[in-house]
Amino acid sequence: MSVERESTRVLPSIPASPGLIASVLRLLAFIDDLPKGATGVLKFGDSGLILLESRKICWAVARSMRLRLTDILRNQSTPPLPREAVEEIYRRCKVDGRPIGEALVMSGLVSEAGLRVALFKHNGEAIAHLAGSGLSPEAFVSHSRTGYDPKFSFSPCEVLAMLGSLDDPARALAAQIELGNTLVPDSFGAAFVRSNTVSGALVIAVDRACDLPVSDLVEVCNWTAGLFDVAHTFDPEAALARAVWGGRLALVTWRAKDVAYVGLCSSRAAAARLVSRLESTAKSSGVIAAAARYGGPA
Amino acid sequence: MMRALSQPLGSGPEYNALDLVCAPASMKTGALLDQNLAERVRERLEGLAATLPDLFGTLDPTCLERIAERLGGDPDDATFGEILLLSDRSLHVIQPLASRPGVALVAECPATSSIGMVLSAIRARVLSMEGG
Repeated sequence: MSVERESTRVLPSIPASPGLIASVLRLLAFIDDLPKGATGVLKFGDSGLILLESRKICWAVARSMRLRLTDILRNQSTPPLPREAVEEIYRRCKVDGRPIGEALVMSGLVSEAGLRVALFKHNGEAIAHLAGSGLSPEAFVSHSRTGYDPKFSFSPCEVLAMLGSLDDPARALAAQIELGNTLVPDSFGAAFVRSNTVSGALVIAVDRACDLPVSDLVEVCNWTAGLFDVAHTFDPEAALARAVWGGRLALVTWRAKDVAYVGLCSSRAAAARLVSRLESTAKSSGVIAAAARYGGPA
Repeated sequence: MMRALSQPLGSGPEYNALDLVCAPASMKTGALLDQNLAERVRERLEGLAATLPDLFGTLDPTCLERIAERLGGDPDDATFGEILLLSDRSLHVIQPLASRPGVALVAECPATSSIGMVLSAIRARVLSMEGG
């Protein structure tokens, strides 16, 4: 029996560099710019590759990374998975041509959630290494082979947030929980902070429905940060805002301690529900007091 | 019209209930446009008005267009139509005026006011102003 943890017990060996997030943003923006259904291989010569299916990241590997997926999988269980059992499955997969991760799930050694966490760390680390190396993709070779389980693929936004979370994993986990508890149907969102590691907002958590181009996500977060900055010049207690555009779309933003949140809503009703839910969240008195009064038409 | 717009919204009981003040402001410069504004109204609104260039001039419209597209909204309408800002103390509203490009109505009232009533009052005022 295995017990996988969402914690960072096995931290990816991501190269520390002040410019890392900026480099990662450039690389992920390249993926965002590919055609919507892009499926294929993004090649970095001998240095690595990223496999994409419908522009989602299924697998990434960099020659310079230290941890293998099997190491991550073994060590995120308590007790660690027996090496022999994992290697036996690995050998069989090599013969059958099956993905190792999915075979481990089939064997019962690893849960789906555990595999997703491990893949997330592995792919995030690979992308950090590729971006940190300063290499640009040499080519994107499209192919028609599909078959990666969508449960085990990741949007560029998710990868960006995963790397941003390394600054303070506990804070990022709390932000992820806040998003999960607060967002409503027809909305998706992200959490961000100010950090010395980037010039603008550092995205630290996104919900799985968040599939914006990373540059747009960061731009919206920067705008939101600016909104609170300027608002605090005349009202230091401002903690909740809503902006509408596009007829029925809305952006709801709120702050709790040093983390800011953005929820993007596809209807005014969703925005009203989101603000209403903030009312019942007993975390920030500033937010709650403001949201509690929000009973009128949106 | 501008003078009327800068008065506290409503009169009598409505005004007493909401304690809402509003005035037109330039989204480009952040200046309040009513020269005859009472000092106490000016004091309540000029901080909010001063934020307009930052709020409306800094987000790339194509970014909002792309997000609108992802959300299934109208990508051709890529400017914020209304911004609410809430705190323990106050409710602030910014409402760009369709009939006067580059101008927004800025409004403020105490946090004890009902947001629904405040928005209704502001929208009614904007409507009558633009219709008139």
